Amino acid sequence: MTTSAILPARGLADRLTALFWRRPKVLLALLLTPPLLWLGVVYLGSLAALLLQSFYSIDEFSGVVKEEFTLKTYGELFRPSNFDILVRTVTMAALVTLACAALAFPIAYFAARYAKGHWKAAFYLGVMLPLWSSYLVKVYAWKLILAKEGILGWAAEQTHTGWIISGLLSIPGLEGSSLSTSPIGTFMVFVYIWLPYMILPMQAALERVPNSMLEASADLGATRGQTFRTVVLPLALPGIIAGSIFTFSLTLGDYIIPQIIGNSANFIGMAVYQLQGTAGNIPLAAAFAVVPILIMLIYLAIARRMGAFDAL
Amino acid sequence: MTTAVEFLNVFRHFGPASAPVRAVDGVDLTIAEGSFFAMLGPSGSGKTTCLRLISGFEKPTGGEIRIFGEDVSNTPPHLRNVNTVFQDYALFPHMNVRDNVAYGLMVKGMGRAQRYARAEEMLALVHLDSHGDRKPGQLSGGQRQRVALARALVNEPRVLLLDEPLGALDLKLREAMQDELKALQKRLGLTFVFVTHDQHEALSMADSLAVFNEGKIAQIGTPQEIYDQPATRFVADFVGSSNVLPPALTKALGGPAEWASLRPEATRLAATGPVSGTVTALRYLGAGTRVVITLGETEVAALVPAGQPVPAEGETTSIAFDQQALHLMGAT
Repeated sequence: MTTSAILPARGLADRLTALFWRRPKVLLALLLTPPLLWLGVVYLGSLAALLLQSFYSIDEFSGVVKEEFTLKTYGELFRPSNFDILVRTVTMAALVTLACAALAFPIAYFAARYAKGHWKAAFYLGVMLPLWSSYLVKVYAWKLILAKEGILGWAAEQTHTGWIISGLLSIPGLEGSSLSTSPIGTFMVFVYIWLPYMILPMQAALERVPNSMLEASADLGATRGQTFRTVVLPLALPGIIAGSIFTFSLTLGDYIIPQIIGNSANFIGMAVYQLQGTAGNIPLAAAFAVVPILIMLIYLAIARRMGAFDAL
Repeated sequence: MTTAVEFLNVFRHFGPASAPVRAVDGVDLTIAEGSFFAMLGPSGSGKTTCLRLISGFEKPTGGEIRIFGEDVSNTPPHLRNVNTVFQDYALFPHMNVRDNVAYGLMVKGMGRAQRYARAEEMLALVHLDSHGDRKPGQLSGGQRQRVALARALVNEPRVLLLDEPLGALDLKLREAMQDELKALQKRLGLTFVFVTHDQHEALSMADSLAVFNEGKIAQIGTPQEIYDQPATRFVADFVGSSNVLPPALTKALGGPAEWASLRPEATRLAATGPVSGTVTALRYLGAGTRVVITLGETEVAALVPAGQPVPAEGETTSIAFDQQALHLMGAT
């Protein structure tokens, strides 16, 4: 009996697989076309429209958008009332990112280095669980926790530590009748809401640092602190940067938390929301929206120059 | 002769005390200063754990470890004057080769110019001068191995620990590195402790070696002692191409009723003899042919030197040997 060296094609699936083998680019094109169309048209298209709008201006008397290219709208961003919003938002985003990084690192380190089996499952559950409930529910829950009669105030009263909260609330610029009406509250809720987005990439980055790397460092005479600075941190930096991109940009764009918690001072997101809605000033809203994009680009350029992506 | 490393009844158990995993189970050993000491054994036999006990990455659950006479039970790895070449090299991927090699000096606070000069010296020692600016990712396996070696040696450790450092290299490179490591060890006069599961590597490189089995040392001695006089069946099986004869066969062949080992090169083919069997495998080795004869249930190999007649597979033959070539040993 002789068997042919070439097996007969059994049907369409065999012929398609053969086609993909002969022309690998066909498969790539089939896989990439739908998402690229979606991204290209919906995402990049709207981004281009946004950019375009930001170079238009609004006629101050008629309120009609003048479709002529001008930098006047960008100039308006530097008016004190608008510039305040930018400074406030960027400061908040930077502080939230720093706090998230400081809180996330030990958790991510524990999860990546020590947690096994059930502990690992508990870690993922603990980090992801808050993401399963509605964002609004969480924010309103925090409003109640931070309110004057809330659980935090009650606990402080019971433990006679209420002076800490009143002390914090008397700091100039951070005043409020309770934490829920102070910028401190806004900060706390931002940190809580965005923390998972910092922990997960950080944990993924730390997981990729092999144990032998840490042992090699100790073996060569490094203390824990030296190992952290010269080995762990540089190797985890891409993860930290990835996490900080989330926390930073999410804080830059959020318009709900500062509306519900805090002293109602304007943030970029809120300004955009008001300008494109009630005020109908689409060009200025667009200009505001371009600011976070610019800041993120600058941030990434600095991170790249500092070598944050060398270990990728 | 000074003792470099000493294990005094050392235990390292993992897991619950009720059902511990006995990775190291009562090991006593002495490593002389300036010697090339190999720890040989199958995976899971405790050899790597013993190495990690010396470097400090594992703490003994019992017993005492001394390095140059000093008890190191309470000394963390970074304060031990020993350095390790890791199995996966563990080079820092974000630093170039020079910074990798200079790392140990950097964390000790040596100035940049001075430590780079020392790093270059070390790179020259392992024939990698002019590779200082590259990243580890741009090097071949053999080159990474040398960087790991240079990085460990730059600290001038009193003992160098090598954890299967040649395992990932291909055969030719491995043999070249074996010679180089041996030459380096002689030149520096350093104590090398070398972990391997490759018996040829251990036998050819070590001044003395310990054969590990299930957390215990099965035998400790010079390569010749281990090869010629295996203490147990396990050692004979693992170390050698030696034939292991069960008591009944030893007796049938003219010896006492005990387990014995018999080297293939001491075994001759004979037309007639007390026991005969069938030739079941032939392997041409260049300098001779290895003939496997199945005697009852035992396979016995004989090395027929080149130029002598070799039987065909399936032929019936018997074996002969000088009685003093028979080495008696314990059953375990």
